[in-house]
Amino acid sequence: MVLTSKRLQKLYRRTGRYWACLLLPLLVTACDGESGSNPAATTGGGTPQEGGSLVWARYGDADSLDPQRTTTTLSWQVFDQIYDTLLAFDDNGEVVPNLAKEWTVSEDGLTATFVLNEGITCHDGTPFDANDVKYTAERAISEDNPSVTKGAWGPIASVEAVDSQTVQFNFSEPFGAFVSFMADPFSSQICDSAEELGDDFGVSAAVGTGPWKLVSWTKGDEIVLEKNADYQNFGRPIENDGAPYLDQLIVKQIPEPQTRLAGLQTGEIQVIAEPPLEELEAIEADEGLNNYIAEKTGQNVFFEFTTSRPPFDDIRARQAVAYAIDPEAAIDIVFGDVVKREKCTVARGVMGNDQGFCAEHGYSHDPERAQELLAELGYGPENPLTVTMMTWVGGNRERMVQVFQNQLKQVGIETEIETMDIGTLNARVKQENENDSGQGTFDMMGWAWYDPDILHQLWHSPGAYSGYQSAELDALLDDTRTTVDSDARLAAVQEAQQYLLENAVHVPLYTPGWLWIYTTRSEVDGFKIGPFDRPLFNDVKLVS
Amino acid sequence: MTQNLAQAESTDILEPRSRRTHRFFKDLLRTQSAKLGAAICLVLVLMAVFAPLIAPYDPINMGAGQALTPPNLAHWFGTDELGRDLFSRIVYGSRLTLQVGAIAVGISMTAGVLIGLVAGYAGGWIEAILMRMVDVLFSFTETLIALAAVAVLGPSLTNAMIAVGISSIPFYARITYGAVLVEKNKEYFKAAQAVGARHQRLIFRHILPNILSPIIVVATLGVSIAVLSASALSFLGLGAQPPSPEWGATLAAGRDYFKRAPWITTFPGLAIAITVLGFNLLGDGLREALDPQQRR
Amino acid sequence: MTQYIFKRILGGLFTIWVTTVAVTLLIHLVPGDPVQIMFAQSQSTTPEQLEQIRQQLGLDRPIYEQYFLYMGRILQGDFGTTIRGNQPVLELLLVRLPNTLLLAASSLLVTMVVGVSAGFFAAYKRDTWIDTGLMTGAILGISIPSFWLGLMLMYVFSIRLGWLPVSGTDLKNLILPALTLGLANAAAVSRLTRSSMIDVFSQDFMRTARAKGLAETVVLSRHAFRNGMINVVNMLGLQFTYMMGGAIVVENVFAWNGIGRLAIQSIFQRDYPTIQGFILIFATVVVTVSILLDILYAWIDPRIKYS
Repeated sequence: MVLTSKRLQKLYRRTGRYWACLLLPLLVTACDGESGSNPAATTGGGTPQEGGSLVWARYGDADSLDPQRTTTTLSWQVFDQIYDTLLAFDDNGEVVPNLAKEWTVSEDGLTATFVLNEGITCHDGTPFDANDVKYTAERAISEDNPSVTKGAWGPIASVEAVDSQTVQFNFSEPFGAFVSFMADPFSSQICDSAEELGDDFGVSAAVGTGPWKLVSWTKGDEIVLEKNADYQNFGRPIENDGAPYLDQLIVKQIPEPQTRLAGLQTGEIQVIAEPPLEELEAIEADEGLNNYIAEKTGQNVFFEFTTSRPPFDDIRARQAVAYAIDPEAAIDIVFGDVVKREKCTVARGVMGNDQGFCAEHGYSHDPERAQELLAELGYGPENPLTVTMMTWVGGNRERMVQVFQNQLKQVGIETEIETMDIGTLNARVKQENENDSGQGTFDMMGWAWYDPDILHQLWHSPGAYSGYQSAELDALLDDTRTTVDSDARLAAVQEAQQYLLENAVHVPLYTPGWLWIYTTRSEVDGFKIGPFDRPLFNDVKLVS
Repeated sequence: MTQNLAQAESTDILEPRSRRTHRFFKDLLRTQSAKLGAAICLVLVLMAVFAPLIAPYDPINMGAGQALTPPNLAHWFGTDELGRDLFSRIVYGSRLTLQVGAIAVGISMTAGVLIGLVAGYAGGWIEAILMRMVDVLFSFTETLIALAAVAVLGPSLTNAMIAVGISSIPFYARITYGAVLVEKNKEYFKAAQAVGARHQRLIFRHILPNILSPIIVVATLGVSIAVLSASALSFLGLGAQPPSPEWGATLAAGRDYFKRAPWITTFPGLAIAITVLGFNLLGDGLREALDPQQRR
Repeated sequence: MTQYIFKRILGGLFTIWVTTVAVTLLIHLVPGDPVQIMFAQSQSTTPEQLEQIRQQLGLDRPIYEQYFLYMGRILQGDFGTTIRGNQPVLELLLVRLPNTLLLAASSLLVTMVVGVSAGFFAAYKRDTWIDTGLMTGAILGISIPSFWLGLMLMYVFSIRLGWLPVSGTDLKNLILPALTLGLANAAAVSRLTRSSMIDVFSQDFMRTARAKGLAETVVLSRHAFRNGMINVVNMLGLQFTYMMGGAIVVENVFAWNGIGRLAIQSIFQRDYPTIQGFILIFATVVVTVSILLDILYAWIDPRIKYS
C-alpha cells in the first residue's frame, strides 16, 4: 500500500506520465500542467458583441415548463425566461410595473385591478390581453387540475376582463400578499393559446410573452431557447429594453460540480450554477472566470419538528436542539463565507427580516442550557434522546446535517440521518406529522418566498406539512394576510415571527441554500442575478 | 459484474466426498493466488473485528484533523471534507462490507438453494414452474431486480443488502438445481429411495451434503458480487446514508472534492477492489481445489 | 430451427408478461400509501385530491382490474405521466433509450474485441508469462468497481487533461463510458474465452491440421479462429444483457443521458409511473435483443441442431 516517493517516481517514469495519473491521481499533482490555468479564456480585452449562443449549465433538468406544474428552482429559473409576470421586483425587491403598467387595490382589499401595457405579443404572434391574464388565473385555481402553488393565489372569488387591457381580481377576503405574488415566477402569465397545445403544453411547447422562446427540450440533456425578437421590457431589473442581445440560450444539465467547472474551463459552457465550493478561491484567482453570488435570494433553511408526539411535542426538546447547535460553526466548516447565518423565519429582502429583532426572540448556541433541558426531560448519558434528522440531498446539506449531528451528540442527542429527494421529504414530513405513533422526527427544510406570506402557507393550520398548529398562531397569521396597510402588516408579521421563534417551531439556520453561486467565463458581459435568485440574460453580450 | 458466478455454474463435483475432503486444503493452498485471496479475506475479517483497535480515530466524529488533509503520517489516507480520518473510516467500513457480503449472500443462498432443491427434487409441474420463474428472473439481469427492490423498499444500506440478495437468487437456484439433478441419478440416492427413506432425509442427509461444494464456491464468488453491487447502490445514493463509513458512499461523497482531494475517492475504491479481488481469488482457488477437472 | 425460434419467442413473451404483472404489483409492495408518497409532494394537495388520484389510477379497484386497466393503457402507448411535472413517461424513456443502446452496443464492441483477443492469446500462449499476465489482468479487471474505474478515467482524461468534453451525447462523449463498461466486462469475457479456446486447441482437428503441415497462421485463422468466433457469438446475448445492466451504473458516473440515469433519478423521487415504465422497457429490450442474438447464433453455428 505504502509507496515511498522514490518508488513512486520509478513507477512514474516506467509507466509513463498518464498511466501514473490514472493509477494514482491522488499522488500526482504534476499532471495538472495542462488544465490548471485557462489559456483559452479571454480576459475582457475585446468588445461585447450581439448575437451568438450561450450555454448555461446546472445540476439538473426542469420538471416542467408549465409554470403551474412545478415548484423547483431548476424549473422556474427556466420558465421565468419564457414567461413574464404582471409586475416585477426591482433591485431592492420592491414591486414595480411590468406587463401591467399600473395597478390598484381597493381599500377593503377585496379587489385588485391591473391595466396592461399595449402592444405586447405572445410567442405565437397573438396579442397579449386581459383574457390571457384571466385564463392564467382561472387555470391556476381550477378545481380539477389546479396549480401546484394554488395557495399562493389566495382566496380569489372571480377574475373579470373589464376590457382588453384591464383585468380585475375579486377576493372573498382581503389578501395582502397578492400584489407581490404577481411579480413572482409562479404567477407567470400564460397566453390562452396554450389551451390549443393540449398535453404538449409545458412538455414540448410553451407560449408566453417572455424574452426567450422555447425551441426544443431534450429531456435530461438540454433546453434550447431563442430570443423573442418582439420582446419589450417594462419592469425586469435590466438595462436592455428590447429583445435579448444573444440569439440563443441553451440550458444544459451536468450533475457533477467538478464536471461543470471543467466544461466552463474548456469553453464548452459559458455560465454554470453551483461551482464546486472548494474551487471558489481558485476561480476568484482565475482571470478567465468570474463568480457571482446571489443576494436576497428569498431562500431560508431551517429546522422544523414533528410536534404532534414525543419528544418534540414538548417545547423543551425543541429548545434543546436549538441551543445545542452552532450554525455559525457549521456554516464555517461546510460553506465558508458564501452562506450567511439566518436568524429570521422570513428571508432577507423580505418584509420582516430584521436580524436584531429575530435574535432577541430566537435561540443561540448554549450547550449547557441544552443539557439542562434534556435533564429536565429525563434524558442523560445513559438514556440519550435518539431521533431521526432528515433533509433533502444536494447543496452540501448532507454535510451540514453531519456537522449538526456532531454538535447534537455533544449534548447527548443521538441522531440518525436520512437524506432524500425534496419531493419525498415534503411527503415524508407531512406523513410524520400526521402519524400518531412512534418517535417524532425533525428535519432541515428549505423554502424560498418573496413575501412573509410564506409563514401563513407553512404554519397556518392545516399548513403545508400539517405541522405545528395552534389557534393563537392561526390568529396571528390571519392578521398577516388580511392586513393590507404595509406598516400594520409588518407589525403583524413580527408578531407571528416572534411566536414561531420563541416556541422553537421554526428554527432558522442559514441562507441561501441552493443554486445561488454562479460562475461565468469572463467573455460573458452583462450577466445579472435579479432579486430572489432570478438569473437574467437579457443584457448579456459575448466579448469576442 | 455477475460473470464469475456464471462461470462457477459449470462446476460440478463428481468425486466421492471422502477423497475430496482430505485433499481439499492442500489443493486450496497450493496456488499462490488462492493463498493471496485467503490472506486478503483474513486481513479484512481481522480489520472488521478489531476495528476499534486499528482505527486511530473515530470514523464519524469530526475534528480528527484539518479538512481535506492529504495523506501523511498522522492520517495515512488523508482526511475528508469534514476533517474525518479516512483510514479510520475505511477500517470501520470493512465491517459494513462484510455485513453486506454475509447478509446478501445469506439471502440469495438460502432462497436460491431452497428453490433449486425443491425444483430438482420434486420434478413435475413444481419443477417446471419454479425453473421457468428462475429463467425469467435470470433474463431480467441482477441490476434490474436490485433496482426494483430498492424502488419498493426505499434507499438504505439494509435495503440495498436485501435488494442485492434478492437479485442473485436465480444463480443459486440454477446451480443447486443442476447439482440436484446429478445427485438424483446416482446409485446411492436411488438405493436410499428404494428403501423408502423419507423426503426430508433424502434431501437433507443425502442430497444437500453432496451438492455443498459448488454452492460454497458460488457463495465465495457471490460475496465479491454482493460487495460490488451494494457499493454501487451506495455510490448511486440508494444505499448507505451519511455519515456511514460505507465505502461506496464515502467514494460518492468524495466526488465533489475530486480535483482538490482525490484521495477521498481513491482509497475507498481501492478498498472495494482489493476486497473483491480477495474473494475472487479465494473463490477461484476453492473451485480448483474442489473440482480438479476444472484445473488448467 | 423454426421450432427453436418459435420456442424462444414464446419464452420471451412469457417473460414480458411476467414483467407486466410484476410492474403492476410493484406499487402495492411499497410500504405505506403509494398515492400519498407520490402525490403529497406538492404543498397544496388535499385529501380529496389524493382520493381523486387514487380513482384516476384505479388503485381503489381490485388488483386484477388494475392490471387490465394498466395493460390497456400500456398497449395504447400510454405509460402515464411523471409525478413531478406531468411529463409523459414513454416520451422520457424513448428519448433516452437510443443513448443507452448506443452505450451498450459500443461497450459490447470493446468487451468483445479486448476480451476475446486477450482470452484467445492467453489460451494460445498457455502457461507462459503472457498467459499469466493476461489472466492476472483479468482477475484484477473483474475486481475493480466500474463506477470507480469510470471516475478515475474521467478524472484523468476530462478533468486533468481536458482531452474529452464533459457533457453531451455525441461520439466523443461516448468514449469514456464505453471504455469503462467495456473493459469491466472484457476481463470476464477473456476468462471465458481462454477456457473455451483451450478446449479448441486441444481438440483433434487442430492436431490433425498441424500434422498435415498446415502453416500455423492457417491453422489459427481457419480452424481456431472460426471456433473462437462461434464462441463469441454465443456469448453476445448474455453479454448484451450485462451491458444493459452495467449501463445503469456507468450512465450515472458520466451523466450519460440514458434510461439508467432516469431510472435512478425516478427511484430517488419515488416516481413510480416512471419506474414502472423503465422496468417494462428495459426488460422488453433485453429479452428482444437476446432472442435476436440467439437466433443469429443458431443460424451461424452449423454444429447445433435444434429440435
